[in-house]
Amino acid sequence: MGVILQAEGLSKTFRLSAKQQKLQKTKEKVIKAVDDLSFEANEGEIFGLLGPNGAGKTTTLRILATLIKADSGEATIDGASIRTQPEIVRSKIGFLTSELKLEDFFTPNYLFDFFAKLHHIDAAKSSQRKEELFKKFGVDEFAEVKVSNLSTGMKQKASLVISIVHDPNIIIFDEPTNGLDVLTAKVVTDFLIELREQGKTIIVSTHIFSLVEKICDRVGIIINGKMAVCDTLKSLVSDKPLEDVFFDIYSQEVGDTL
Amino acid sequence: MKKKSNILTVTKKEIARFVGDKRMIMMILLPAVMIYVMYSFMGSAFTNLFSVDDEYSPIAYTVNLPRPFIPMLEATGLEIIEASDRDVIQIKEYISKKQGELLLVFPENFIEIINDYNVQTSMVPAPNVEIYFNSSDINSAGAFNNIILILDNYEASLVNKFDINRGILNADLVTADDLSASIMSMMMPMLLLMFLYSGCASLAPESIAGEKERGTLATLLVTPLKRSELAIGKILSLGLLSLLSGFVTALATILSLPKLMGDAAEFMDTGIYNATDYLLLACVILSTVLLLVTLISIMSAFAKTVKETTAVVTPLMIVIMLIGLSGMFSSTVPDSLYFLIPLYGSVQSMSGIFSMSYSTINIALSCAGNLLLAFIGAFVLTKMFNSEKVMFSK
Ligand SMILES: Nc1ncnc2c1ncn2[C@@H]1O[C@H](COP(=O)(O)OP(=O)(O)OP(=O)(O)O)[C@@H](O)[C@H]1O
Ligand SMILES: [Mg+2]
Repeated sequence: MGVILQAEGLSKTFRLSAKQQKLQKTKEKVIKAVDDLSFEANEGEIFGLLGPNGAGKTTTLRILATLIKADSGEATIDGASIRTQPEIVRSKIGFLTSELKLEDFFTPNYLFDFFAKLHHIDAAKSSQRKEELFKKFGVDEFAEVKVSNLSTGMKQKASLVISIVHDPNIIIFDEPTNGLDVLTAKVVTDFLIELREQGKTIIVSTHIFSLVEKICDRVGIIINGKMAVCDTLKSLVSDKPLEDVFFDIYSQEVGDTL
Repeated sequence: MKKKSNILTVTKKEIARFVGDKRMIMMILLPAVMIYVMYSFMGSAFTNLFSVDDEYSPIAYTVNLPRPFIPMLEATGLEIIEASDRDVIQIKEYISKKQGELLLVFPENFIEIINDYNVQTSMVPAPNVEIYFNSSDINSAGAFNNIILILDNYEASLVNKFDINRGILNADLVTADDLSASIMSMMMPMLLLMFLYSGCASLAPESIAGEKERGTLATLLVTPLKRSELAIGKILSLGLLSLLSGFVTALATILSLPKLMGDAAEFMDTGIYNATDYLLLACVILSTVLLLVTLISIMSAFAKTVKETTAVVTPLMIVIMLIGLSGMFSSTVPDSLYFLIPLYGSVQSMSGIFSMSYSTINIALSCAGNLLLAFIGAFVLTKMFNSEKVMFSK
């Protein structure tokens, strides 16, 4: 069980427009969303990025998925560099975040085939995989309904299935259960555990403690773009619940007590 | 391992997206329908404005009209009412109110005076005929022209030293083909350019700014799909659909032209061109569409929303209209080098093809100019898809 994902000193600064400054109630012209962040994920584990709103979780995951470029730092995913080999990285990972939408106009069935082609998967293999995944998530019931007519949960299921069309070894999910009801959320978390059993590596971001406690092997707590703590779940919660651990770290980092 | 290119996959998806979308189909067909309706309306308005009522005989008031002129005037369909000097002011008022068409005032004993008049020896000015009419009244203007012709001929016959075109009715040897060609070469380049532009402008913003706005472009960007494949796929599919849209609009125009121009539309005969003409035209149109689509795509990629694109694209529209107009009013063929200027070259080439006087080299140059810029544009679009500033700015 070796290191499959290694992030070294990732930093990302955003320039704020006047509108954003107002929105975020700040006078700063720039915001350091990710600040010298390093961590590793081992093959076959679920790694949780835990942090409050605006901590920089989504930004970190978008850097890893090569959607945006880090100002400095480097990460390698299964031997491929996000800086120099973004296309290889993209073919190795499955990335799911709520910002990535499916085109309203098409059906899940059409989109699955389309994305399978983009990943160069041959037709026989992709149709077999489609059948399996559609059945597992109940997508087959609305496979021929246009995305515009699907409910939030249905859309999330379709997005999830399509994000792993190519059976990636590394799966990066941003807030995978956000906006889902308990039933759908359970389907998703059960699936993550199943993927781990298949030997896949999973990186999830969340601000939900219970999710981390239920599924993660290792946890990185991220506050104001910095990695405050990164350890196994076991050693973190050895003497108190995760929530208390988080509050302790938070008041240490930010310098005030809650 | 060399992987199959995904350009075709993207192109097919884009076409499926538009062809299956009723709203987009409407947007493609709308200009065609509007042109047909508009031309039909304008056509009947024109016909009412310019048609001369055959039954109607214009009234000519005359003072001292010499006898020999009576049959000549009647032959042009005029009704003659003899009046006296005293009525002149009253009659002028009638004519300005369109209650009569013409007033002819001859001097008394006109025929005798002109018979006695000698240009070389006479001490008094030549006798004068006054003709009043109303140019805003089509019947009056027509009658005026006829009278001028009659009097002119009469005057010429008095001192007949030589004639021009006596007894020849069809002195203008222009063929219907030439007339077609010159009308087509004036109108078509401008029209085609506008149709192609409107086709592109109704599709590209939706496909690029729209996808960006809705977050579906990002979904494509996390797959191994190359940015260049995405750019080329978009350009090809949008180009194809714009061609289709431009074709439908052009077809509607040609079909509704008879409604607009009545009999004059006979001069717009597309049968005068041969296969080579059409082939060259196709090359020019194709390269033009590719360039237009690329330019509009780049502009839509800059915009954050479909709405914003409308504003971003406006300067381009103005430039394109000016280029189209330049073709309409230029009469000389520019130097070969000018054909290399993208879009301007297209207009000049189309103009040349329609007037059936072109050099294949110039047309090749114009296509090359368009394609070169389109190629650079595709490269720029690729870079833009790669740029997080362009794709993910908030
Ligand atoms: N494109 C952008 N332009 C400007 N600022 C940005 C941009 N993206 C993120 N930010 C800012 O960077 C900071 C980190 O954002 P990020 O989305 O990574 O947080 P997060 O941990 O995912 O929070 P949440 O739990 O709310 O999803 C925030 O202050 C956010 O406003
Ligand atoms: Mg987030």
